[in-house]
Amino acid sequence: MDIRVLQPSDIPHVQLANITNLPENYFLKYYLYHALSWPQLSYVAVDLSYADNHPGEPPKIVGYVLAKMEEEPTDGVQHGHITSLSVMRTHRRLGLAEKLMRQSQKAMVEAFGAKYVSLHVRVSNKAALHLYRDTLQFEVDKVEEKYYADGENAYSMRKDLTFLEEPESEDEDEDEAVGEDVDIDGDVPKEKKTKKKRNVKVGRGLGVADLQEVDGRA
Amino acid sequence: MPQAPLAPKDAGLFRQVLKCYETKQYKKGLKAAEQILKRNPHHGETLAMKGLITNSLGRTTEAFAIAKEALKQDMKSHVCWHVYGLLYRSTKNFEESIKAYKMALRFEPESQQILRDLALLQIQMRDYVGYIESRRQILQGRPQLRQNWTGLAIAQHLAGSYAEAENVMVKFEETLKVPVGKGDVEHSEAGLYKNMIIAESGDIERALTDLEKISKTTLDKISVLEKRAEYLLKLERKEEAVTAYKVLLQRNAEKRVYYQGLEKAMGCEEDTAARKALYAEYAEKNQRSDAPRRIPLDFLSGDEFREAADAYLTKLLKKGVPSTFANVKALYADAEKRATILELVQGYAASLENEEPQVVETPTNGDANGNEPAKTTKPSEFKLWTLYFLGQHYDHYRTRNTERSLEYINKALELKPEQVELHMTLARIYKHAGNLQKAMEKMNEARNFDKKDRYINTKCAKYQLRNDHNEEALETMSLFTRNDAHGGPLGDLLEMQCVWFITEDGESYLRQGKFGLALKRFHAILKIFEDWTDDQFDFHSFSLRKGQIRSYIEMLRWEDSLRSHPFFSRAALGAIKAYIMLSDRPHLAHSSLSNGNNENVDFEGLSTADRKKALKKAKREAQKAQERAVEAAAKAKEEKAKNAQVANLDEEKKKDDTDPLGTELAQTKEPLEAALKFLNPLLEFSPGKLEVQTSGFEIHSRRKKWLLAVKCLRAAQKLDPESPVVHEQIIRFRTMVSKLSDEDIKAPSKEVLISTLEEILPAATDLTAYNVEFSAKHSQSAPHIRGALRARSFLSAGAPTTPLLNALDQEGISLYDVLQGQSLLQELKAPEEKIKEYNQKAAAKFPDAVVFKEKAGAE
Repeated sequence: MDIRVLQPSDIPHVQLANITNLPENYFLKYYLYHALSWPQLSYVAVDLSYADNHPGEPPKIVGYVLAKMEEEPTDGVQHGHITSLSVMRTHRRLGLAEKLMRQSQKAMVEAFGAKYVSLHVRVSNKAALHLYRDTLQFEVDKVEEKYYADGENAYSMRKDLTFLEEPESEDEDEDEAVGEDVDIDGDVPKEKKTKKKRNVKVGRGLGVADLQEVDGRA
Repeated sequence: MPQAPLAPKDAGLFRQVLKCYETKQYKKGLKAAEQILKRNPHHGETLAMKGLITNSLGRTTEAFAIAKEALKQDMKSHVCWHVYGLLYRSTKNFEESIKAYKMALRFEPESQQILRDLALLQIQMRDYVGYIESRRQILQGRPQLRQNWTGLAIAQHLAGSYAEAENVMVKFEETLKVPVGKGDVEHSEAGLYKNMIIAESGDIERALTDLEKISKTTLDKISVLEKRAEYLLKLERKEEAVTAYKVLLQRNAEKRVYYQGLEKAMGCEEDTAARKALYAEYAEKNQRSDAPRRIPLDFLSGDEFREAADAYLTKLLKKGVPSTFANVKALYADAEKRATILELVQGYAASLENEEPQVVETPTNGDANGNEPAKTTKPSEFKLWTLYFLGQHYDHYRTRNTERSLEYINKALELKPEQVELHMTLARIYKHAGNLQKAMEKMNEARNFDKKDRYINTKCAKYQLRNDHNEEALETMSLFTRNDAHGGPLGDLLEMQCVWFITEDGESYLRQGKFGLALKRFHAILKIFEDWTDDQFDFHSFSLRKGQIRSYIEMLRWEDSLRSHPFFSRAALGAIKAYIMLSDRPHLAHSSLSNGNNENVDFEGLSTADRKKALKKAKREAQKAQERAVEAAAKAKEEKAKNAQVANLDEEKKKDDTDPLGTELAQTKEPLEAALKFLNPLLEFSPGKLEVQTSGFEIHSRRKKWLLAVKCLRAAQKLDPESPVVHEQIIRFRTMVSKLSDEDIKAPSKEVLISTLEEILPAATDLTAYNVEFSAKHSQSAPHIRGALRARSFLSAGAPTTPLLNALDQEGISLYDVLQGQSLLQELKAPEEKIKEYNQKAAAKFPDAVVFKEKAGAE
């Protein structure tokens, strides 16, 4: 089982793994949205025996973590978020979930300056809760009422990531305070607005109205 | 004739129309437009906006009529042309849309909005030349925006102009007066993108220098480290490459390419001892890593292999890793290795034979049967998973022994009756043995042990489909779908692009001879791939804003060959099979006449008059079934609307399916032409798949497109000269071509056909002798025996069936081959007693395969 970063070509099999394992499912476009916004953060576990027997075919994915950065953190602190994580039942106890998460978390800190990572889990999902709390050291932050479409509550969990920050070398620590979001054009707010808009529109509709959308700077 | 400007009041109204459109207040916008038109009925731009809004309301035909009228009134308005282009774009007629945008630009050459819209279409269409031009103009209009520079660079990069692309990136960098903040993602990514361009231009030396320059300020550390290692290796700077790969392995010890890179850099790829030592070092350093322990099993042999395999297997089995077998089964291609593995694991089983079970507290993790910790006796993980491993071993196709396999799994079940994996494997064993009914039942039992787990639920539905219990399968799926979705559970699965279910469902219907439903499903897959193509559209602008250019480029490249995906080819081949059958026997379009599981009428045995009657009746029945289905859907929808508290606008817009059973699809007058929708992408994107070429031959030869057919045949022959399918097709084609008159194929084409055929099989070859020779050469292979028999049936009537019967005596003949033999007997219209004999023999060989027992008359 290889652990490596998710590529766009992996997505159909990631989507397959997701709908095989979990009740929360997404269009392909939503995966693309992750892969093209934060390409460093999502990871897959690849079944190599399948790849050996099917040369030239896309590899079979037995586990994945789909992750993102919170675009407008309400607390103003840069942090990552796990959109979805699952490992095929046939490939449990190999520590894949942990390995996937570890890579993703490191990248959140390095590439986007994340201070912590958050996720949601169904209150009834004991196995997942065990994984996040005991194996991956997440803590329950709060309960979110009726978070899921079927009315179930979610535990909102988080894990501090500051322990992953590398100490800065002397010659370049002055820039650190500048933060993550400084843009030379100074039009970050506008860009953010559009991002947000995009965020909602991950559906596949491509009506005229969508196409008319201005990119925020016209 | 330029139009007079609107009076101030109307001009104000017009601005309101624009605003309403942008904010999607369509009805209000339409009203305002009507107000203007009341006073200025010929105002082109108002008409254009009216058309645009009308289209947004879903009335496309009307919208086009209005937009055309608008153009008639005001040919020189960029608004009218722009709207015209937008309408075409909404119907995905990109060529016409591009033309309209270009007209709009003639009247408003500076418009960034129109330029951007045009550029989007050009990149979607991969018109790189046009895209470069548009991006250049966009950049000229707004050079202060970084994304406009990057946009031009992308255009040039994709067109293969590396130097120009790099130059554009550099030029922008030079305009930066103050250094960019270290946390700037866009800047960091732009640096890596430029580096990618340099590397792709082939200048690795310079790519490395450039990478060193940006490495400190780049945020994506892994990419820097990976690229650096890759470049160093390519440049043969091996010592540095060794260090680079070691750094990478420190971060991730589960990535094969890192190990491969390290081996290459160390120059030890051929040196087993050195490799062994290398992996031992990494195994030692990474106690929890699988790769450094598993990889040596690939290259070690003999005693060294035994030792390593022993360590690997005991570690995993003691830990209770369910996928232990899956982790090593790739080694089964090597007979010696699989014997060693079996020996080792059987050894564990023997030593554990008399082990006493331990008393333990088991915390139950969210299974359906309660969550209280319980005191139970528990076998050691080692024993349980060792038995499980052996059960899987004897179910593997290379080492299959159903009886033994069941024995081990049942033994394991005695130890732990509630272990879901064991029940799943039981189901799998029955599936492989040909008892699909029992397999399905067992998988459902497994599901009942853990109803909250979707994985096992999914497996259960899959097994129900394999057993052609489509409705039950959907019901199973519905335990996890959003059932209030449009179209219920199936609607949700379609919307969520659940490719596996739709494909399996279609294949099941195809087996049952329900061609309408089968085609319905395969077309749904076609549609999903269309949506996946369209999905990239929004990212052309999105990614420029986000600045993650490398992954955008990767996405474009992946989309370029999207339909080479096996998800596509599988569904497409299914559809083609259905269309071929419909072309050969059109009456199959009426499901009540087809010879599926629900065999009603032996249609082909009827007289002409009776056939007509039966056909008429079937049509009536189909019509009724269709009406019932539509009615039921409408009723369900009404019911839902009643229950729904808030009306969902989106739902309303979704059209009801007027052909839920696919009757119209199946009753196409031109099944072969319809099949091209599936075949053409296959031939373009998966030409290296044998089945694609042989399917292409079947379609094109029936279409009497002789040159296309022979092209496929030649390609198939090149892919596998000994393929039994190709062999049979060659002989069939030769006999077919020999009967062609000059009317059927004209002079120049005929010459090409003849000369290509000559390459395939010289005309002087005696086909009968050739076929005899072929079957002698492959007398031990069931597929070849079938190929030769089929070929023979074209050469002379009454092919003998004994070879098929004899093939049953072969050791290790697969269930699949025996089933194929069975259907060939039917195809060749073998005498009843021969078929019976075959089935009896097959039933003896595969006692669990219900299909032989039934037909052998030994219920």
